[in-house]
Amino acid sequence: MLMETDIAVSVSKLSRHFGKFVAVDEISFEVKKGEIFGFLGANGAGKTTAIKILCGLLKPTSGEANVAGFNIKTDSTNIKKHIGYMSQKFSLYEDLTVKENIEFYGGIYGLSRKEILNKTKLLVSELHLENVQNSLTKTLPMGWKQRLALSTSLLHDPPIIFLDEPTGGVDPVSRRNFWRIIYEIANSGKTVFVTTHYMDEAEYCNRLSIMHKGKIIEMGTPADLKMKYGKDSIQDVFVELVG
Amino acid sequence: MRQIFYLVQKEFRQVFRDKAMLRIIFIVPLVQIVILGNAITTDVKNIKLVIQDQDRTPYSRELVLQFVHCGYFKTIGFEESYSKLSDYLSSGKANLAIVIPKHFQRHIVLNKKPDVQVLVDGVDGNYAGVALGYISEIMQNYQKRLIESSPDLGFHVKNIHRVETEPRFWYNPNLESKPYIVPGIIAIMLLIITMFLTSMGIVREKEIGTLEQLMVTPIRSYQLVLGKIIPFSILGIVVINIAMGFIYLIFGIAVKGSLLLMVFESMIFIISTIGLGVFISTIADTQQQALFLAWFTMICFILLSGFFIPIANMPHVIQKITLFNPLRYFIIILREIYLKGTTIKDLIPETLSLVTFGSCLFLAAIIRFKKKLG
Amino acid sequence: MKLRRITNFIIKEYIHIFRDKVSLIIIILMPIVMVILYGYAITFDMKNISFATIDDSKTQKSRELIQSFTGNKFFVLKFMDIKRSETDSLFKERKIQMVLVIPKDFSESLTSKQTTKVQLLIDAADSNVATFINNYSNKVMQIYNGKINIETPGIINLEPRIFFNPDLKSSRFFVPGLVAFILLLISALLTSIAIAREKETGTLEQILVSPVYPVEIVIGKVIPYVTLGFLNGTIIILFAKFLFKVPINGSLILMSAFALLYIFVAMSFGLMISASAQSQQSAMLAVIMATVLPTIMLSGFIFPIASMPLPLRLISNLIPATHFLIIIRGIMLKGTGFMMLWKQVAALSAIGLFMISIAIKRFKMTLE
Repeated sequence: MLMETDIAVSVSKLSRHFGKFVAVDEISFEVKKGEIFGFLGANGAGKTTAIKILCGLLKPTSGEANVAGFNIKTDSTNIKKHIGYMSQKFSLYEDLTVKENIEFYGGIYGLSRKEILNKTKLLVSELHLENVQNSLTKTLPMGWKQRLALSTSLLHDPPIIFLDEPTGGVDPVSRRNFWRIIYEIANSGKTVFVTTHYMDEAEYCNRLSIMHKGKIIEMGTPADLKMKYGKDSIQDVFVELVG
Repeated sequence: MRQIFYLVQKEFRQVFRDKAMLRIIFIVPLVQIVILGNAITTDVKNIKLVIQDQDRTPYSRELVLQFVHCGYFKTIGFEESYSKLSDYLSSGKANLAIVIPKHFQRHIVLNKKPDVQVLVDGVDGNYAGVALGYISEIMQNYQKRLIESSPDLGFHVKNIHRVETEPRFWYNPNLESKPYIVPGIIAIMLLIITMFLTSMGIVREKEIGTLEQLMVTPIRSYQLVLGKIIPFSILGIVVINIAMGFIYLIFGIAVKGSLLLMVFESMIFIISTIGLGVFISTIADTQQQALFLAWFTMICFILLSGFFIPIANMPHVIQKITLFNPLRYFIIILREIYLKGTTIKDLIPETLSLVTFGSCLFLAAIIRFKKKLG
Repeated sequence: MKLRRITNFIIKEYIHIFRDKVSLIIIILMPIVMVILYGYAITFDMKNISFATIDDSKTQKSRELIQSFTGNKFFVLKFMDIKRSETDSLFKERKIQMVLVIPKDFSESLTSKQTTKVQLLIDAADSNVATFINNYSNKVMQIYNGKINIETPGIINLEPRIFFNPDLKSSRFFVPGLVAFILLLISALLTSIAIAREKETGTLEQILVSPVYPVEIVIGKVIPYVTLGFLNGTIIILFAKFLFKVPINGSLILMSAFALLYIFVAMSFGLMISASAQSQQSAMLAVIMATVLPTIMLSGFIFPIASMPLPLRLISNLIPATHFLIIIRGIMLKGTGFMMLWKQVAALSAIGLFMISIAIKRFKMTLE
């Protein structure tokens, strides 16, 4: 058992190879509880692979990592109980209704019938979905779907949530709303781990690590990074580092 | 266990939401049973015959009449020109041509044994063989009658002794094809529905990304696989029962043996087909690939099941290959229970083979499924 | 219609096909495996029919009759002289398929009467097999009767001349049939899933909002798969010719032209289904249900259409494979020319045009 610490995720020298290709190359970092931690990088930089390893979807080739106090190699079942995950793909069932999707994922996470019922009510009113709760999910606009997906991944109240490019394909207004929700989640004490390739979103993170070709090439708060490189925006920092 | 309940519930909701799919699952099999129930027959009927009578004598006309009235043939016409006869065969207008030579009657009287030619389209060997059999039967009868009616020909009919067989067809006295086909169609439908729906269903979840979402939940692989097997076995069992009821109403063919045994054997079969479906889903990345793999497996299973072509007719090596075909056992089991009322005692080898297949495929599916996602 | 737009479509579709290695391998390997497997497996030459006897006569003559059954490769004697009551259980255990029952007065009757009857009890749970067994028994009896009446000369010679397949080989019958079967299934499946896939992934919407005509989409979809289907047909026919020595007596060009027509018909069917289906799953399930069994059972691929009841004979005309089977068997085995096949060609064209126009109509509906 680990001691009660304020570290939510700790990673040391984590690597993942696909044949000869090194997708993640000895990355190390720590994420504190309640932090919004961002992974910034171009497509193919290794962000998604890293996040998949931390969620237990992929096994690492070498290195160590602890998530919510559990080792990813030996205790992935326990990790899965303590994390939420939402990927760049929209991962609700389009041919089920809003309510049925919530019920299904609630059931999968082992919530009791009563809890599911309460959660469904709560979610539906929070997201203002009263009128569409019995419509098929595929009829919802993209932004709503995304928020619904986020909410369902929080049904079991996980202390850590992983978001893999959660705002792909969403209009700017919805994106701003989405980040408002992310802040609320972080304020409630949960740790948010998010990957993105949108530079403006990177500014919203508490702390940021920039990935390039499987390596973490820079890490720090957005303000620190901008100061260090003497730039006005993360965009410029990124271009300086990668471009 | 509660997780499995939710998986099953979800699967049912999806199936019942897709109305087109529902129609395909529940109605198409019934339509096929009605239409195809009468189709299979290796009987040889309505053989198209063209006749050329070069002799035009009472004897030759008598022979022509024998052919026209025997009931085996459909005489499509008479042809004068010998060279045109082969056109009849190559265009498919006729399957057979009979040529009665000139001086037919005179040669018989002179005991010079005239040659009656039969031109046969041999493409369908079985059809041609049986048709030739009919012809020699007619010729024999004709000769017998000729000898009887014209003693002055100098032949003696008394020393002809024949043994004839009287066939009795057990379990299906009129050799109807329905009782034979119907269990086969049920088995194939079950195979199609279960194997295709599972393999494509899982791959679809892979494509959409819901499978990944499920993998980050605390759910176990075996639960996921069970969550697929339970709803589709239930669906399969329902389909098979509807089909049996329907067959009874339409054709009046009832299950002779135990219904319970039938359902039990179907369960075992379904477990192997769904296991196969899951297995295919671990190989395929897209629904198209899953479809092709499942389709290929299915066609191999169907044509090597003994349903259309008796296994005993196949070469030795291929007979051995059919031992690895669960459909082969299931069709035998279904047909035995359906038509003969055979009990489990006499079906033990088939049942054991099915159980072995089911458990092997199922385990292999779970192992591969785990490995693929790990 | 613009040629450039269509070529763009075609190129895109080729990229889809060749990028998906698994599908490509299956598409090419499947016909080869099938031809080899079924070219050997599908045969109507029955062997080793196991039977038992109930011999109430027990004379030299009755033993001779039994010997006429055991003296060939068709029948194998499993049990001598069983009890009548054992028949049912032996059938149920599937130890035997037939029982030959020889009556007590067999020997006397054979010398005194013109015809003597013996009973054959046949397990007809598989009516198909039962018919074969009956046919083979008749053959055996013909030989037997010929033997015991050896001193009776026939007064007429029967001189059979078998055309196109002198040895009555099953492979000559089935292998060309396989071409028809495989071509139809592959072509229909390929196209049916192609459009349903675009619907599912949403790319169809993308295409529909671009200024293309439905006809262009359909043509763009069909041409790449026609070449694939044609490739398949060629592979099968090469195997037929060199492995199974099925001759090609007619014109190869004529056959290719008709094969193209047939592939077009099969693809129109696939398009028609996928234009109406909502998901890949329902599209493929519909295609499989509508093609596999009807093509095997109603097209004349295995079972002679002439022997079917009238309604089925009429239905069989709606199945494209029925017509193509006549064409391909005609050209390969009989060397038939166009003049004798125009009816089939007309029927195929009619079916194809009908289905493609429905497909296009459905697309227009999706557009609006």
